[in-house]
Amino acid sequence: MKLVRTIVRAFKFALQNFWRNIWLSIATILVFVLTLTMINLLIVVHVLTQTAVQQVEDRIDVSVYFKRGTSEPTILEAREYLLGLSQVRSAQYVSSEEAYTRFTQRHRNDSSIINALSTIESNPFGGSLVIQARAPEDFEFILEALNNPQFGDAIEQKDFEDHERIIARIRSVTDRVQWFALGVGAVFLVIAVLIVFNAIRIAIYTHREEIGIMKLVGASNSFIRLPFLLESLIFSLVSTLIMAAILLPALQVLDPQLSAFFGTASIGLTEYVFSNGFLVFGGQFIVLAALSVLSASVAMSRYLHV
Amino acid sequence: MLYLNEQEHTTAKKKHQDMIKLHRVHKEYHPNITALCGIDLHVEPGEFVSIVGQSGTGKTTLAKLLIAEERPTRGRIVIGGWDITDIHASQIPFLRRQIGVVFQDFKLLRQKTVGENIAFALEVAGEPRQRIRDVVPQVVRVVGLHGKEDRYPNQISGGEQQRVVIARALVHRPKVLIADEPTGNLDAITAHEIVDLLRKINDFGTTVVLVTHDKDVVNRLKRRVVTLKNGCIHTDHKVGKYVLA
Ligand SMILES: Nc1ncnc2c1ncn2[C@@H]1O[C@H](COP(=O)(O)OP(=O)(O)OP(=O)(O)O)[C@@H](O)[C@H]1O
Ligand SMILES: [Mg+2]
Repeated sequence: MKLVRTIVRAFKFALQNFWRNIWLSIATILVFVLTLTMINLLIVVHVLTQTAVQQVEDRIDVSVYFKRGTSEPTILEAREYLLGLSQVRSAQYVSSEEAYTRFTQRHRNDSSIINALSTIESNPFGGSLVIQARAPEDFEFILEALNNPQFGDAIEQKDFEDHERIIARIRSVTDRVQWFALGVGAVFLVIAVLIVFNAIRIAIYTHREEIGIMKLVGASNSFIRLPFLLESLIFSLVSTLIMAAILLPALQVLDPQLSAFFGTASIGLTEYVFSNGFLVFGGQFIVLAALSVLSASVAMSRYLHV
Repeated sequence: MLYLNEQEHTTAKKKHQDMIKLHRVHKEYHPNITALCGIDLHVEPGEFVSIVGQSGTGKTTLAKLLIAEERPTRGRIVIGGWDITDIHASQIPFLRRQIGVVFQDFKLLRQKTVGENIAFALEVAGEPRQRIRDVVPQVVRVVGLHGKEDRYPNQISGGEQQRVVIARALVHRPKVLIADEPTGNLDAITAHEIVDLLRKINDFGTTVVLVTHDKDVVNRLKRRVVTLKNGCIHTDHKVGKYVLA
């Protein structure tokens, strides 16, 4: 009962502090929101990178073309062998007939190619395997495995490469954005800590008379400190709420556009944030609150003298 | 200044009877600034003691030691049987609720009314609302301010402001009231009214320690006077009276 009373009264004082230095409060919250913006940018870029890379990775496959005349059992044996590797997700067999059909299908409007093809008596295509790896890094291992003398000689050509470059390019862009967000976020975080320190210092200064009286009439030390801790919690809470109020609608606008860009039904950013909103914003609040309470405590130990 | 003694005061009392007991209390702010040099002082419950002396002789320092605002460099301080010499910081609030303090620079909050200023002392100690509602009118009546509870400090006189400060010091029903220059900025008549109020509080049983420069005040009181000089007790008279040196 006494504890509740104490907290309610301390909260009243905290709100008074907040209003009496309203401009400082606004500045503090602004820096907090900027810090959170950077953190959220980090999260969004991270999710987007994952989506983009996933998209590309899902499409990556390596086609291994076997020499003409390689028997189907040999190719199927190679397929079995590949499927036995933990790095291989799938290996699809394309027979030479199938390859021929696909080729003619693709070039059916190009009479010169069709004519050229018809002059060749036999099917010029060998069989092939379309391999998907579990991770793009695994391709190297898989291709190496195919150099195995059992199949190596039967292989005409291996074809991939480009995908790797695409992924590298995506990663280099998103890495740069993430480093930028991380750097700016860290700078803002430092500024945020300093500004809380100052806000509490000024709050202590503005309230020096009350604090002096509180001490002399026997207010407990924790009661004197509590309003300042609560004030720093209010800063964190208001900032997190503002951030949520900005981010959630922004995502709802952004998500369809990004989905269209990536050509997926949804990149799941909105769902992710909405369904984990408590975690996302709760986590941000906790980090912010912990830092500002720490900063406020340092300010109090230096200026409150209780 | 000189204070003539009419009757030498004896401090040879049984220990447990003392409300305030200082034993060889030294206070040095710096190795070369000695504010108090070996004070031995015993004050009985219900006593009214005036501490007088020239500026810089350590009167305020003495008052601050009693409320653990400063720590003695050497010696022991016992208040109401509680040895506060090495009091832990977390215990100080409990000490302060047993000692009412009136300091000259210990002001009222401008944005709070008389009643709110008094209630503030109870609020910050976590007292329940009902108790605040009971106690505030009582102390307001004791200091003679009823009817002025809703005024702001700038709407009452200096003497009345000092009464509010005294009222605020009384809300915890302290055993001891320490007043450092409570009449400092007041005219003679108002100063006497304040001293009469302190005497009235003393009559209720509260031990009062009054630090003052005011010779008229001391003469009117006809109570115990302790004179400090260069940080030491110079004289200690049962009934002090001011005379020209
Ligand atoms: N916080 C402090 N730090 C250093 N020296 C101090 C401090 N407070 C007081 N002093 C010194 O201690 C001595 C006693 O000061 P104190 O305030 O107790 O005197 P006082 O008798 O109350 O004087 P006054 O009548 O002017 O109020 C003085 O020499 C003063 O300069
Ligand atoms: Mg003084």
